[in-house]
Amino acid sequence: MNNTLDFNRLVKVIKHDGASFAQNLGLALIILWSIPLVIWLFSSLTPGHDHIDPYSRISIISTLGTILLIMAPARLYKYCNDSRQGIGYAMMPASSLEKFISMVFYCVIVAPIIYLAGALAIDSVLSVLGGPYEGFAIADYFDNLSQLRDALRHKAMMGDEDCALLLNCMSPTVMIISRLLSILALSSIFMFGNMVFKKHKTGKMIGILILLFIIFMIIMVNYVANHEEQIAHWFGYMNEENAAYIITRMIGTMINASLIFSAVVSVVMLWLTYYKIKTQKY
Amino acid sequence: MIKINNLDFAYKNTQVFRRISLEFEKGNIYGLLGENGVGKTTLLKLICGLQQPQYGEITVDGFTPSMRQPEFLQNVYFLPEEVITEDTTPEKFIQKTGVFYPRYDFDLFNKLMKELEVDLAKKFNELSHGQKKKALLACAMSLKTDYLFLDEPTNGLDIPSKALFRKVISQYCSDETTVIISTHQVKDVENLIDPIVILDRDDVLLNASFSKITEKIFFEYGPERLDNAFYTEMLPGGYINVMRNVNNEESNVNIEALFNAVMKNKEQIKNLMK
Repeated sequence: MNNTLDFNRLVKVIKHDGASFAQNLGLALIILWSIPLVIWLFSSLTPGHDHIDPYSRISIISTLGTILLIMAPARLYKYCNDSRQGIGYAMMPASSLEKFISMVFYCVIVAPIIYLAGALAIDSVLSVLGGPYEGFAIADYFDNLSQLRDALRHKAMMGDEDCALLLNCMSPTVMIISRLLSILALSSIFMFGNMVFKKHKTGKMIGILILLFIIFMIIMVNYVANHEEQIAHWFGYMNEENAAYIITRMIGTMINASLIFSAVVSVVMLWLTYYKIKTQKY
Repeated sequence: MIKINNLDFAYKNTQVFRRISLEFEKGNIYGLLGENGVGKTTLLKLICGLQQPQYGEITVDGFTPSMRQPEFLQNVYFLPEEVITEDTTPEKFIQKTGVFYPRYDFDLFNKLMKELEVDLAKKFNELSHGQKKKALLACAMSLKTDYLFLDEPTNGLDIPSKALFRKVISQYCSDETTVIISTHQVKDVENLIDPIVILDRDDVLLNASFSKITEKIFFEYGPERLDNAFYTEMLPGGYINVMRNVNNEESNVNIEALFNAVMKNKEQIKNLMK
């Protein structure tokens, strides 16, 4: 018997975890799905209401999706490290790797896909009904992106190097990878928090992230304060001719840095989550 | 077979076990006795792999429990004292859980639920504490694991349920199954357990079968208190004296009296049983 990874056993674990998916996350999904509906209703009932453009609606759907990613691990695997109620999970005859894969599958793949499918379906239905929602959010979103890319491509073809660089940074592959990595990073941080904390799991993890952000900002402010001359000197190089080039390069570097950062955070957090599943004491 | 060798375990600053060694042989129903807080539950958790020894070794049929390998886990089941309250019926729970256990028997589950008089249609959180315990016992037994660990299984059960519990365990556990019942309510498991393990703080005071116990210790029921007894207790109609079996006489073990005798004469009885 393979004690590390067995496909049949993995399917059993996925089925086992899936059996309580709707029960654990169903209410949260309904609440998140109902928020755009409430906004639509509220706007419809307001005399002389403004239209809510597709881009704003996509932003609302993304923000709510982020909330779902944050809360999903604690909702789906609330008791997996509980000294009393987690015993069943620990004693389930499956390897730590199989339990980990199932956890990632539900938190990173299934929950966001179900949420997104539902949210976009609701948005589409509301668009058909008319009122403040005009146009299909997802179609408009991709349409806008496509228009932006076409404009950049056109300028690049006319010899604009900055646009060529920006176009390269905004390639669909890079954007998809960036979005997927940020979902994975966020989810893995909260999966790890779910394994480390026993109570107020999501709240504590948010608190730690805020604390880390504050520490980071203090370090950055200190750095800038101590290197004021160097920074001013560096900005001195920028003029009307090269400003666009420098800024475009900076955007490219920042996108690459955020990709690397998300990848590193994801790998570290996922490994730590697996390690906690494997070594958790009850 | 469960082998525990030189086990050390502590929770932060509280030492629970100090270099203890003992064995549990296959096919027996062990009674794990001890005062509150001596580490009965901890020992079960260590054997199940829910805790890890700080020193020493535990093996269950050659497996190291703390590695929690699926091949090991599919042969053990631990029923904790505090029962889980899933928002589902016992039937759905066992159908979800049973798929991981190769010898899982759904018909046996239904049979046990009937024998234990648990309502099949009700969800766990609609059942009383005792009913929940009985439902989980039916679940645990229907998995037909080689090792079944029951932590204070009779807590919260009414008198008829305690009798049903004894009946079910003795009737449906196969000869290959090793059951360890941790309890401080010895009367509830009388006539069910054999051998007996008595734990003390940091130590194992006794690990012996009834035949070995009665070979060395004599339980004398008589009208008077004997001075040379390890322990004497007044019963309706006389006394029970727990004493050294010097004349190789046969007697019936009174677990409660034995437990008290061991607790009052730790070293003497430990040396006697060696």
